[in-house]
Amino acid sequence: MAAPGDGVGGFCKHHAQQGVCDSRAKYREGRRPRAVKVYTVNLESRYLLIQGVPALGVMKELVQQFALYGAIEEYNALDEYPAEQFTEVYLIKFQKLQSARIAKRKMDERSFFGSLLHVCYAPEFETVQETREKLQDRRKYIAKATSNRVLFIAKKIQEPKKTASKNLERCFQPETLGVSAADASTSNWDPSARCPYPYKPSCEFSSRNTACPSGDHFQSAMAFPQYVNNSAETSEYNSQSKPLTNSAQERGRTNSPVSLVLQRKVPSDNGIGRFMPRTTQLQERKRKRDQSNQIAFIGTDSDSSEIIIGPRLPEIPKVDMDDDSLNTSASLIRNKLNKVSVTVPKTSGEKPEDSQTKPPIKQRRRI
Amino acid sequence: MSQKQQDPLDLGRLEYLQALVTEFQVTESLEAKEQVLANLANFAYDPKNYEYLRQLQVLDLFLDMLTEDNETLVEFAVGGLCNLCLDKTNKDYILAADGVAPVINCLSSSNEETVMSAVTTLMYLTMPQSRQQTTALPVVECMLRFSLSANRRLSNLAKVFLEDYCSPEQVEEARNLSKHTAVGIPLPKD
Repeated sequence: MAAPGDGVGGFCKHHAQQGVCDSRAKYREGRRPRAVKVYTVNLESRYLLIQGVPALGVMKELVQQFALYGAIEEYNALDEYPAEQFTEVYLIKFQKLQSARIAKRKMDERSFFGSLLHVCYAPEFETVQETREKLQDRRKYIAKATSNRVLFIAKKIQEPKKTASKNLERCFQPETLGVSAADASTSNWDPSARCPYPYKPSCEFSSRNTACPSGDHFQSAMAFPQYVNNSAETSEYNSQSKPLTNSAQERGRTNSPVSLVLQRKVPSDNGIGRFMPRTTQLQERKRKRDQSNQIAFIGTDSDSSEIIIGPRLPEIPKVDMDDDSLNTSASLIRNKLNKVSVTVPKTSGEKPEDSQTKPPIKQRRRI
Repeated sequence: MSQKQQDPLDLGRLEYLQALVTEFQVTESLEAKEQVLANLANFAYDPKNYEYLRQLQVLDLFLDMLTEDNETLVEFAVGGLCNLCLDKTNKDYILAADGVAPVINCLSSSNEETVMSAVTTLMYLTMPQSRQQTTALPVVECMLRFSLSANRRLSNLAKVFLEDYCSPEQVEEARNLSKHTAVGIPLPKD
């Protein structure tokens, strides 16, 4: 696909690896040594150029390795591309920019069949349309993120009160945040989910507050503003939730922010006919299953005062039978089934735990 | 209690950014200045930092650096602007501070990244009220030349600019004009 001559497939200056910067002040040092470079949307791309692949016929293994980070749309060897002796250069195009980001971060400087890979974005392989879409995606992402910002902050403030004693939910939470950040590049955000709590920036500094997340880890997290947020947030939750346990009871708990986030659609990649090794497929399937489990577990009926214990049973799916009369009878059957399943537990006697909790309407327990 | 409610990460974030800005202002070393500016510009990629960057007036810092002689400082500063100029508040601020003119000046830089960031920044700054400035005739002319560049990244970007941000009349006018003038701004070195 590389058409030499017009800059594509030719050696680009920005692919030459820059020297690592070794004169950073201590507080600015990241986890990994890095060159001084500013990343903008122009430097990113769904195309990754992989240099330093040993010429051992390991394309399949290479592509499998990269496919762990997301669905790959295209891949090919760049025979024309200047390479060191006994190495090859490959081009991999991911379906999503986010996958390319993660793959680059994980695979750059990694050893692969005895040789160090150099992975970089290759935006010069984009078509005009792809460049346009990339710029538009960034626009959408910022529009969404800046209107979300308010919600995000409010949710964080709400979070510790709400979940303090709930272990499970605490471990779910960072993941949920991760999802909301990751699917940011797609635009299926429900505009009705606006947040009622305004964000009040606070500039108070007390010496107590400055003792925030454990020095080293924190610094390194700050060094890569975009990518490491999840881990930083995780540590934040762990460090924060403990002292707040007492306040959990005295404050009313609201469920809305969590359910809002969870109900948001997770982008599904319909990689039909696309290369996706089995391991990735399995991972993807597991992720989806986990996600739907989460929704089932923490799913809320905020309007009903019913006490809910345990995971919610899946509802009987509503099937369209393509015929009015068939639909009517189907819904009759469904209703009947519902009645039966509702009456059975009552007649057979409820669990002791249930009857105890009856008189005052207690907050439902999440498992 | 209310103090504990505050987000320690966010507090740390502001402090950290403040430390960067301070170092940038007090340091004598050009190298440190470049590193810190690159840091700030990279932080400007993440919308989470916008509020803090505004508080610390990093937007002004970026704008000031655009007129520096040092190519690297200009590259990082315009990269930072490119990263944060999509946000409505930031955009309004840059437009109000007359930021478009220095960004246009960056188009004649010999540094590829500076030019790329400047083109993207101009796209993102284009609003009904700023359109006249961001798609002024010399800019469109410049984009026409960039669109013929052998550098695929630059030509793609310039084509998007011409197709999405300029009217066919503007492009036509610029095309006629460039027929008559042989000398133009030199293309960035690759």
